[in-house]
Amino acid sequence: VRVIVRVCACDCVRVIVCVPSLCEDLLSSVDQPLKIARDKVVGKDYLLCDYNRDGDSYRCSTEYRDLYFEGGVSSVYLWDLDHGFAGVILIKKAGDGSKKIKGCWDSIHVVEVQVRAGAPLPVQTGINNVNCFYLPNLGNMDMENKIRSTLNEIYFGKTKDIVNGLRSVQMLADKSKQEALKNDLMQVLSQRSKQQS
Amino acid sequence: MTDFEEPLSDEEKVRIAANFVTHAPPGEFNEVFNDVRLLLNNDNLLREGAAHAFAQYNMDQFTPVKLDGSEESVLITEHGDLGQGRYFDPRKRVSFRFDHLRKEASDPQPYEGETALRSWRDACDEALSAYVKEHYPTGVCTVYGKTVDGQQTIIACVEGHQFQPKNFWNGRCRSEWKFTISQSSAQVVGVLKIQVHYYEDGNVQLVSHKEVEESIGVTNETLTAKEFVKIIENAENDYQTAISENYQTMSDTTFKALRRQLPVTRTKIDWNKILSYKIAASCFSNFSFMLVQWAITSFNTPSGFRHAGPSS
Repeated sequence: VRVIVRVCACDCVRVIVCVPSLCEDLLSSVDQPLKIARDKVVGKDYLLCDYNRDGDSYRCSTEYRDLYFEGGVSSVYLWDLDHGFAGVILIKKAGDGSKKIKGCWDSIHVVEVQVRAGAPLPVQTGINNVNCFYLPNLGNMDMENKIRSTLNEIYFGKTKDIVNGLRSVQMLADKSKQEALKNDLMQVLSQRSKQQS
Repeated sequence: MTDFEEPLSDEEKVRIAANFVTHAPPGEFNEVFNDVRLLLNNDNLLREGAAHAFAQYNMDQFTPVKLDGSEESVLITEHGDLGQGRYFDPRKRVSFRFDHLRKEASDPQPYEGETALRSWRDACDEALSAYVKEHYPTGVCTVYGKTVDGQQTIIACVEGHQFQPKNFWNGRCRSEWKFTISQSSAQVVGVLKIQVHYYEDGNVQLVSHKEVEESIGVTNETLTAKEFVKIIENAENDYQTAISENYQTMSDTTFKALRRQLPVTRTKIDWNKILSYKIAASCFSNFSFMLVQWAITSFNTPSGFRHAGPSS
């Protein structure tokens, strides 16, 4: 099974060179596979996206990443808003490339936290990291789990069903005989249960 | 990174447009064509520069077409290409004009094909048609008997598709099988391809292909045709079964290797716990810092025990 994701980056460039006026719109609305860059100072990998072209980089809570991804690279970029802050949380995990299997999971979570006027702000009480206050709320919005389940059950399940709808391993005549037998059985059973009741 | 400032030549633009078109998923040629037409904004350029791409797409996809007044379809393939936009149907022994954009056949003319191979072609076609009817709800097959590179060859093409754009999915499978009849033993060479696109609130494609090679004894038309079709049936059954099994494997291993459904602990992360660990950890480090501070200050003042922690 070969995923077509790799074609996307080239396609984007191809559309842009044909129609340069679409450049901004395309780059902001089409998600490209995340690129990894190396911070030579700290000796760690980080992820590139539209949001961190300028501004500070910040390393994300690695507990979540390691528990779900057992590795991978993650980066978080935060910026101030008028009434709160926003951020993007990036995670990239590539398969280990063993056993002829190739794959990559990229997530881009964009969050916005609005702090309403009058609401109590987390007070700096010696806790190093004020943003820890928001962590449980952000962490519990577990879209990734939902998406992963959906991918597994619906998307992959559906494509498998489509394949089996194009061709039948069992001979179609046998299949329809089986269907007819099943229907007959169900009819007999329902009649019997009607008689008994 | 590409310099977007320099405009592309018409030739390069239409090459890109043609490339998009040839990669359209099954059943989505029109959508891709219309989008590309909008982007290029030059119908003449598109028509002239990408005409070969439209033809290539239909031949690659084994596009089925019905001749006027016929219940059966014939496949558009490279093996039936006569040039000048004409193709032939080896079963009906006619050639016809094919419009690649409208996907319509017209102007049928008699076409005999290679008579020396006719009996072999007919036998294989009959056996294969029966097989396709048994396994493909909407399948079509076309069998050619042609001399290729000096060898008398039987080429069998099978196609089955389901297009359901209203349900956001399309799928097609194709297979092509060849063997030569010049000697008493030959190699059957086959290629099987499947492509499925599901795009309801998302975008997932399955693209798969497999190559097969099996030896076959070439005796008489009927027996050889039977053996040929048996090889095809076994290979295609194996392939379809393997794909189904692959889904299970993919779910259990590859997908899991990318992102687990649950952490190794088999329970979801308790974010409040993580938060309290973090607070505890930083409190602890703060606390030990405070202890040290207090110790220092207490040794420096007579009463010792006076100073509290951070000003809160």
